[in-house]
Amino acid sequence: MFEHYQKEDFFDEMFASDKGDAFDFYQPLKDRFGRLSPEEIAEKQRRVDHGFLEQGVTFTVYGEDSGTERIFPFDMIPRIIPDREWQTIEQGLTQRIIALNLFLHDIYHDERIIKDGVIPEDVVKSALHYRPEMVGVDVAKDIYIHICGSDLIRDGEGKYLVLEDNGRCPSGVSYLLENREMMKRAFPGVYRQSGVRPVDSYPELLLKTLQHLSPRSGMTPVCVLLTPGVYNSAYFEHTFLARKMGIEIVEGRDLIVIDGFVYMRTTLGLVQVDVIYRRLDDDFLDPRVFREDSTLGVPGLMEAYLRGNVSLANAVGTGVADDKVTYAYVPDMIRYYLDQDPILENVPTYLAWRDEDKSYILDNLENLVVKAANESGGYGMLMGPASTEEERSEFADRIRENPRNYIAQPVVSLSRHPTLCEDFAIEGRHVDLRPFVLYGEDIEIIPGGLTRVALKKGSLIVNSSQGGGSKDTWVLFQ
Amino acid sequence: MMSDSMRLRIHHRTEYSYSSPVRDSVNEVRLRPAESRWQACEASFVTVLPACRISHYQDLNFNTVHHFEIARPHQKLVIDSRSTVMTREKVDFEKLPYGFLHKDLAKCQRLGECHPFLQDSTYVERTPEVWRLALDIQHDTDSEDVFETSYAIMEHIFRNYTYRAGATTVSTHANEVIANKTGVCQDFAHAMVAICRSIGIPARYVSGYFFDATRDHSLRGSEASHAWVEVYIDGSGWIGLDPTNNKVVDATYIVLATGRDYREVAPVIGSYFGAALSSLNVTVRVERLPDGPAASK
Amino acid sequence: MLSRVADSLYWLSRYLERAENLARLVDVNRHDTLDTSSASDSDEAWRPLLYATCTEDTFATAKEKQGASLEVGSFIMFSEHNPDSIRKCIAYARENARMVRDQISEEMWLELNRIHLFMQSSEAEYLWSRDPEALCREVIKFSLLFQGLTDATILHDDGWQFVQLSKFIERADKTSRILDILTYLKNPEKTELASVLRSCSGFSAFRAEFRGEITLPNVITFLLFSQSFPRSVRFCMRRLDSVLHSISGMPIGAFSNEAERLAGSVLAQLNFSSIDTVWEVGLHEYIDELQTRLNEIGQCVYETYVKVPSELQNVKPWDHSIMPWQQQQQQQ
Repeated sequence: MFEHYQKEDFFDEMFASDKGDAFDFYQPLKDRFGRLSPEEIAEKQRRVDHGFLEQGVTFTVYGEDSGTERIFPFDMIPRIIPDREWQTIEQGLTQRIIALNLFLHDIYHDERIIKDGVIPEDVVKSALHYRPEMVGVDVAKDIYIHICGSDLIRDGEGKYLVLEDNGRCPSGVSYLLENREMMKRAFPGVYRQSGVRPVDSYPELLLKTLQHLSPRSGMTPVCVLLTPGVYNSAYFEHTFLARKMGIEIVEGRDLIVIDGFVYMRTTLGLVQVDVIYRRLDDDFLDPRVFREDSTLGVPGLMEAYLRGNVSLANAVGTGVADDKVTYAYVPDMIRYYLDQDPILENVPTYLAWRDEDKSYILDNLENLVVKAANESGGYGMLMGPASTEEERSEFADRIRENPRNYIAQPVVSLSRHPTLCEDFAIEGRHVDLRPFVLYGEDIEIIPGGLTRVALKKGSLIVNSSQGGGSKDTWVLFQ
Repeated sequence: MMSDSMRLRIHHRTEYSYSSPVRDSVNEVRLRPAESRWQACEASFVTVLPACRISHYQDLNFNTVHHFEIARPHQKLVIDSRSTVMTREKVDFEKLPYGFLHKDLAKCQRLGECHPFLQDSTYVERTPEVWRLALDIQHDTDSEDVFETSYAIMEHIFRNYTYRAGATTVSTHANEVIANKTGVCQDFAHAMVAICRSIGIPARYVSGYFFDATRDHSLRGSEASHAWVEVYIDGSGWIGLDPTNNKVVDATYIVLATGRDYREVAPVIGSYFGAALSSLNVTVRVERLPDGPAASK
Repeated sequence: MLSRVADSLYWLSRYLERAENLARLVDVNRHDTLDTSSASDSDEAWRPLLYATCTEDTFATAKEKQGASLEVGSFIMFSEHNPDSIRKCIAYARENARMVRDQISEEMWLELNRIHLFMQSSEAEYLWSRDPEALCREVIKFSLLFQGLTDATILHDDGWQFVQLSKFIERADKTSRILDILTYLKNPEKTELASVLRSCSGFSAFRAEFRGEITLPNVITFLLFSQSFPRSVRFCMRRLDSVLHSISGMPIGAFSNEAERLAGSVLAQLNFSSIDTVWEVGLHEYIDELQTRLNEIGQCVYETYVKVPSELQNVKPWDHSIMPWQQQQQQQ
């Protein structure tokens, strides 16, 4: 199956060169796939797709008729990460979530990092998701980001770089867990033979992370998952996680605040809620404090939260850490709070609000990727080399108008991974990696993460909303 | 039976609360696991709340020290240390480091590595009483071997001393411990260091943690920062002995810092202006991480 | 379980039961009116049905809006202006199911979604124009299939109980309404009695139980008091009572909330009534009273299990002084 595989000029996850010599940790997998005929592959793919449909593993696409549900395309060739590489990733992400949490604590308390001149005040305070309401508030266990999904990519040399941090409501972990189930069924032999670290403890670890935050002691905390509702694109994931954790999935209208305490309305009466795993952005949490038009939230929730009667995961105000300008300062945060060098580096980033960077960006638009500071999911982005003159001038105007809101990065040619393409030919496609970090009593990262793959030839955009698919990710014991 | 290497994860959290806001707090902490042939520190993160700038340096004993200052008023201080360490068995129990004899101890005096650990220090003094006690133990053991004598000193303490929290303080002197035969791991380590040094065995104080691998968690000190002793055995280097648990130090132990006594290795030491401490809370958790199926074969 | 989930399951099941009963009514009535030719005659022949479903006024309004050619049948089946049209009932049911998608089985969802999409399509309207009986059968068949799936594919926990609860409330209500047609008709003929029985799918069951003549007292006795006919009001009330007790955990005979008390009292009354009681009060009055009770039970179920009681909004449900503060909790 791999005879015609072209590595080309990219870093390839599986092959060291074009001569077909796979890295040794890929060897058993390569042998297994090498023995498969296209018919067998087609049969396995059919069964896997059927499995996903049956499980209802779908996401909703915005901008189409309500109720449009799709399967997230799944590629059967798993990505493999050897133990040694994984340890570096694990440590790098641990370092990062610690630094981000200290940063959030700092900017909502003493602002030492601002006063010591490491990060400019206006960068922090002008961030779209900075929440003045949180200044001086002590959140449960002093943890802000409990669940983080950072996106990692590999450059031409195979070095792991952090592309962005998702410290609000990162999604995708359900696909990771389901992908694993499918792979175990489709390729039990090579899975067992490879010695893959299991991922199925995630729901349990997530529940532990949530329970750790409970303001009440001496009883099993009541945790719930707050969903925006059935029309949300990640609703499948919400029900999936709630079911695996054995907690209620609630909507805003199921909760009620009485005297600063939060209750859920059940057929047995009101039940006090201790911890809310909210998959709802800050803006929608409480119509009394944030968006008045929010019908998804719970009136009075912020009051209960600020009084410490209920805990939220993630905390309110973590969006500052998602801001792409803040992102550029994470290495400085690590040096400041930990006196260490970053274990995982950032992609080099130019900040348009710095004048010298701005002129560089404007002069080099066709070579850069320009991103809006507060957008995610591949929206609000200019891919320089693939852009038209018109698009570039439009972005140039936007940058001049609102430099704070734009950053630019050189185009990193993401690593590629052999992927099943049309007619079951195997070709290289670009991939990234989203590991999921849990910060509770311990910092836990389930081995691997969601490997997203850009299924379109040559495309660098891996987002599910824009033609991306996913792979199972195997972290090996050895 | 323990395998000869272990991956251990440590979370050590120290929380000070003050009855009213305090200021100008200056602190030094020694919480980063040491690097050695027997111990590789894969990751170590020392952090402080209120969040502030932290910096680090190495002290004279090559321990990593983190330093920070919090000038603004605060009512709570949390020092969090998380690390992942790979440890290896130091002593081959099949051929324990026997063979280094008392008559050869004299040359240690001239070794730079040993000299400081043969002298008196803040909490340790070589008094005639201690010297006589050491000679008695050596005599009862009837051995010329330094390791055997050291082991006997450890056993002497383990058998004759009473472990009791609250009987001593953080600054109790070794002499007092030897007289009262009561204390906690810090005191036992000080006593053993004193007895060893009095007869010329280089001995240093070690601060660290250990993973209680016993089924009933019967060992002492696994839920706090622990202390033990290392003695110098020519040809083998510093060998750890834990008088609190009567154990030769193995892969379950994690070394944070070594020094002449507690004063040089205190995990957290600092000062501030303001109200009295209203509470101090320390939790230490040591967990064994899976090495995977290949490692357990 | 969450009140919202209970509520959605309740309405999911109630709307489907309603759709099924309406479909049966339409089918039977349509069959009986085949002989009438002109539109006005036809309206007249459908009048009892409008009466039974309390939609006389709605129909008049709909006729104004949709034009005089609107037939009662298609009004009940499809009309936009009929809040209780079968099409709408199914749409509401689906909407409720969607809210609790993760609580019902895949099979239930697929079937419900299928019938919903079908009822929304012009295909359904085409079938209605060509073979109305087939469309009614389709709805009834779906409802029965869905009930079977509900029994066979989900946990018989509280959620399932709420599904049963609303099914029996709705069914008792519809049976009583169909009976009420008999008061509207004053002196019903045998064929009319038969179609009332058929409207409740009770024709052959009636034969089996009574082995005798189709008379007014027999039909009333059968539909109100039969012990074993699953659509008799008494049967429904017995099941309702037992479901309510399963939910609350109270033993039969005792009660812990108003819904249970009311259901118990209606059941007791039915248990000790006969056709004579009905004559004493008058059939219409008897049925009227019954329907009021059923409404009250529905309302009480809502207040007990779904709505937050207003007095709770002001009561301190938790003694704050015994709340440990966060800081203290960390130090254990």
